[in-house]
Amino acid sequence: MTARGPVAAQQPMTPQEPGGVSSVTLPARRRVPMARLLRAEVRWIFRRPRTLAVLALLAVLPVITGVAVDLTMDGPVTPGHSGPGPGPGGGPPIFVTMVTSAFVLPLGSLMTLLMLLLPLTVAMASGDALAGEQSHGALRGWLLAPVARGRLLAVKAAGVLVVAFVASALVVVSGLLTGLVLAGTDGLVSMSGTELSVGDVLWRLGVAVAWATLYLTAIGAVALAVSATTEHPMLVVVGVLGGLIVSGVLMQISALDWLHPYLLPTSVTGLVDLIRDPVPFGGLAEGAFRALCYLLIGLSLAYASITTRDG
Amino acid sequence: MRPRTKGLVAAGSGVAVGLAGLALSALPAGADEDPVLPEIGAEQLVASVLEARPPAFDGVAEVRNELGLPAVPGMEALDFQTVRVFHDGEENARVQVEREASELTLVKTASEAWAYDSQEHTAKHLTWDDADAAAAREHAEREHAEGELADPSRAAAEIIERLRPTSDIFVDGTATVADRAAYELVLTPKPSEKTLLREITVAVDEETRVPLRLDVFANGRTEPVLSLGFVDFELGAQDAELFEFTPPEGAEVETMEAGDAASLSGRHGDRDAAGSGERGTAGLEEPATVGDGWDTVVIGDVPADAPLDGPGESADEYGQDVSGLLAQLGRPVSGEFGTGTHLQTAVGGAVVTSDGRIAAGAVPLQVLLDALDAQ
Repeated sequence: MTARGPVAAQQPMTPQEPGGVSSVTLPARRRVPMARLLRAEVRWIFRRPRTLAVLALLAVLPVITGVAVDLTMDGPVTPGHSGPGPGPGGGPPIFVTMVTSAFVLPLGSLMTLLMLLLPLTVAMASGDALAGEQSHGALRGWLLAPVARGRLLAVKAAGVLVVAFVASALVVVSGLLTGLVLAGTDGLVSMSGTELSVGDVLWRLGVAVAWATLYLTAIGAVALAVSATTEHPMLVVVGVLGGLIVSGVLMQISALDWLHPYLLPTSVTGLVDLIRDPVPFGGLAEGAFRALCYLLIGLSLAYASITTRDG
Repeated sequence: MRPRTKGLVAAGSGVAVGLAGLALSALPAGADEDPVLPEIGAEQLVASVLEARPPAFDGVAEVRNELGLPAVPGMEALDFQTVRVFHDGEENARVQVEREASELTLVKTASEAWAYDSQEHTAKHLTWDDADAAAAREHAEREHAEGELADPSRAAAEIIERLRPTSDIFVDGTATVADRAAYELVLTPKPSEKTLLREITVAVDEETRVPLRLDVFANGRTEPVLSLGFVDFELGAQDAELFEFTPPEGAEVETMEAGDAASLSGRHGDRDAAGSGERGTAGLEEPATVGDGWDTVVIGDVPADAPLDGPGESADEYGQDVSGLLAQLGRPVSGEFGTGTHLQTAVGGAVVTSDGRIAAGAVPLQVLLDALDAQ
């Protein structure tokens, strides 16, 4: 790649352009409006072929899951024909008739992808945002332009937030559409055995997208902290991957259960609660709070290293 | 301050706040001061618990189970961590046992009971008319033992009622459970009882007299072997929709009338191979009890779909030879009743006989053997 930063953001502002922030700190320099920086950043993110490639993959995976399950399922399985039911490992898998429904498929896909692929997508975006631009000198342009370093970080973090939202919304929408095509509005049933209306399902999926966005932004914030200290975007992705794997291993060790509340991936199972009725929000709220703590820590560390860095 | 220092200070405090937040969420619920409540006599407290009608409330309870194995035949092991309970203050109750990826929902009204298991996508429906309501209710409770036991308020009241004649009861101070002030009621077995249990404590809500927590202690252990209690308890009217249940489409529904259930119970188990495929009827066997109170031994039939005599007509598809498994877990015993296998658990034991009966209780082996001989 050539050293092209968000060029649009570096143009000095023309006086007649509205929207400039009036709190002028330096008389010689006018501040670039935030909105414009953001637009440039987002445009920049979605112009990268790798971003588009991974988003396409995320959109296709729920479709593959749904179709594969639909093909391997020979009609609805009734427990009566499947030998002895209860017991460990007995009985048909959970919701075997509902896996392809427009409700369980998007949520299930989201939960599965939150384990690895979605965090890596966000880590990639974070790695490109600071380390990548640093490596080919594009950040220098930012710092020369009248952009304070705190605002630079804010713009980068907002870019990561957009990626997190687009990625999780894409998974859920793709799962929802696949479910609607495969099963129509059948099987919109909660785990508690209540039928759900389409409206019920939609607000639950909305909550799922919002929650996943927050969770992924928290991972992205930690990734930005790594990103701010290095010039190699690859290191950021490897760091996030390593963190996820280590957390996963620690979560398997029950002797360390005092540590589990400190691990971010502990929260993901809270999404299962959205299939219950009425929804218990305790687990989701706890997960959201944990994600906010990680977000704060990640952004603080990133801010520390970006302000102490020599442009 | 120079901008750089300012940035570092801001970042440092941000990290500190974030870490404090994480630590806060990791902390267990604070152990509050024990509340100060008016003195009350044990008998008076027990009477008020048994008389109290459960108010309209909803709550979340958690269970910590060190039992390892189910304590009673026909009862499932409590393999869940969280349960949600809704009572409307009248006859209606809803209990939702949350497992990791499925749920067991029980809805009970004045004239019917539903149990829906999302793991198997099956619903059991039990109806009765007023004449045999009591028997049916008892039956429904047995049928849905897991759900009934999962509701701390019901389970604890039941235990107090059953163990009252054979226990020494006293009030041991107060406690705070789910942010509510409660009395600690302690039941210990009378010296005549031959049991492995040491004591059972029940925290009783001072205002409503609903049991909020139940702890079961076994001999030689300081930690409770079973702890079931509310972590969240809110008084207030409940949505009437919670107590209506329509089984979802595609679920296998099994409907029973209380009359049928009653006629089936008391039948003694000739295990004929023909009936071995019919689950549900096997579960209706009414287990016999020997003794009372703490050293009650329950004797029931092994569910017909558990092949004890090697793989056969009803061998399960996982190819597990249950009798082989039993032999590995337990040790062989024999007596006037025949032969069997004894399994020891944290709070008791069970003997599975070779002719397909189970005797279980929170008692030493000898008591189990005596009970089988006496039957």
